[in-house]
Amino acid sequence: MADVVFLALSGLIIASAILALEARELIYGAIWLAISLMGVAGVFILLGAEYVAMFQVAVYVGAVVVLIMFTIMLVHRESGRIVDEEGPGRLGRAGAFVAGLVALTVAVATILLTPVSPAAPEFYRVALPELGRLLASSYSIALVILGLLIGATVIGALTLAKVEREGEPDGTVE
Amino acid sequence: MEPLSSYVILTSAMLGIGIYGLVSKRNAIRLLFSVELIVNAANINFIAFARYSNPPILNGWVVVFYSIAAAAMEAAVGLALILVAFRLNGTIDVRKLNRLRG
Amino acid sequence: MVNELQPLPTVQEIVTLALSIITSRTFLEIIVFPGFLNVMLGAAFLTWLERKVIARVQLRIGPLYAGMWGILQPIADGVKLMFKEMIFPERADAKLLMLCALGLMLLAAAPVVPIPFGDGLVIADMDVGLIYVFAVISLFPTVILLIGWGSNSKYSFLGALRSLFQQVAYEIPMWLSVLGIIMLTGTLNLAKIVEAQQKVWFVVPQILGFVVFFTAVLAELERTPFDLPEAEPELVMGWMTELTGVAFMVGFLAMYTKLYLMSALITALFLGGWSGPAILPQPVWFLLKTFLVASSVVIIRGSFPRVRVDILLRSAWTRLLLVAFANIFVTVGVIWLGLGGIWRI
Repeated sequence: MADVVFLALSGLIIASAILALEARELIYGAIWLAISLMGVAGVFILLGAEYVAMFQVAVYVGAVVVLIMFTIMLVHRESGRIVDEEGPGRLGRAGAFVAGLVALTVAVATILLTPVSPAAPEFYRVALPELGRLLASSYSIALVILGLLIGATVIGALTLAKVEREGEPDGTVE
Repeated sequence: MEPLSSYVILTSAMLGIGIYGLVSKRNAIRLLFSVELIVNAANINFIAFARYSNPPILNGWVVVFYSIAAAAMEAAVGLALILVAFRLNGTIDVRKLNRLRG
Repeated sequence: MVNELQPLPTVQEIVTLALSIITSRTFLEIIVFPGFLNVMLGAAFLTWLERKVIARVQLRIGPLYAGMWGILQPIADGVKLMFKEMIFPERADAKLLMLCALGLMLLAAAPVVPIPFGDGLVIADMDVGLIYVFAVISLFPTVILLIGWGSNSKYSFLGALRSLFQQVAYEIPMWLSVLGIIMLTGTLNLAKIVEAQQKVWFVVPQILGFVVFFTAVLAELERTPFDLPEAEPELVMGWMTELTGVAFMVGFLAMYTKLYLMSALITALFLGGWSGPAILPQPVWFLLKTFLVASSVVIIRGSFPRVRVDILLRSAWTRLLLVAFANIFVTVGVIWLGLGGIWRI
């Protein structure tokens, strides 16, 4: 049963990823990316990491994809669809595809020929307080640094995207 | 239960698609799609190896939390940069955005 | 790729599997209660309840002719909408709009899964139930943005943007205000959270959290006083303007499904869920409290003026966040005083 689910999820992820890159309109590409990321969340659940899966859905699909779509809508030209002349032309793309296929075959062969393939240990439910304890003790400094990093990133992104206008009133009335 | 190799094959395939996107696409936002794909492949890898260790370890989860948060931040800043580039140059075609200008 | 290929299942095995799924309890729970039928009937009932309560607040009577007390009015509305023509503008993406309306309904109904309607009466006892609900809620802005964009109209797009900013801004106070509950019970499992409230409901120690959560939910549902994405004199119906006919019915029903399930969530988190004296069965208590919360939402709609959009966003990021933090400090105080044992499961 888990085999079928895993195959279906991987098929979904790979197909959506390819569609995301090859879709004609960028918006559809973003939709396919969202589907692919939901598939990744499904793989997380299959691996027993439910909390991480929910985190992925809430942050990646809920926020990052919204940001991407929002930006696509802002840079969309008035002509109605973005003129997206794709890369190096037919021969170059065929060459890239063949090279990718060769690379994939080599990778799969290497993976399958590796003698160490550990069997899955018994499934055990992760108690969330355990995760909390880990975060609060071993990774506490990293957590604080992450917070500072997020703050710096937000300030940076706001400053970058700010539109400078002449004579704009400073602050708002309270 | 799936053997670990299946998950690694999945992530390598995602990595391959991501690299293909990075190499052959002109649109800056499609490059961002590819980067997100590669980061997600790495995340799956972390969780899969954390699950298949004996005994299963939680540090893989913590790394993935950071990875998701960092990727979200990177997407935000990257998209802000794309907006600025669009405003200054009128295009997001990366082959045309190859001059350093004030 | 698979190391041992398993033989394909025979037809008999498939039939046996299908039969065992259909007659299992979980399937029954998904279809009837607390799943599909419950959500649909609840949403339809809420449309009637809203019109009646709003009417009384405004000193009118509301629907009167369709059945006794107008109770069949939702059915009349549904039948009417199903017969209306779906008109889409020429360059609007009709396929995208219809798909997104359907997606809206799916997302609106998804939070029903971990909510316990009675002791053990829950579709899936998820250990991460609370964060699952929040993850589903955070998916709404995506769909709304797509509907606004696919309408090919600047005004719908503006409505979608306003809705996006509002919903994303109020997600943060919503997440923070339940931190107190998570600290007191140590679990994200909604069934366990309801069980922990047998002695004292969480609305008592977490009154600040309750206020913040209620306000944030009002904003997530785009109800007055946070009504701006739908401000009728300005934007017709905001991002839903270009949805017509069946698509409109689905979108409209999705909003009321959201209201029903969010009220159910508030009940489960703060008002003790299904707990109550044994005179009435537990699901009845749960539904009573849910409809009480929903009625308060509707009464607030009839009583308050609309909040301006910049004040709306600013108060989400400043005032509501501060109250949520105050709630966390109060909770820490409660635990430090040794009172945390009341809610120990």
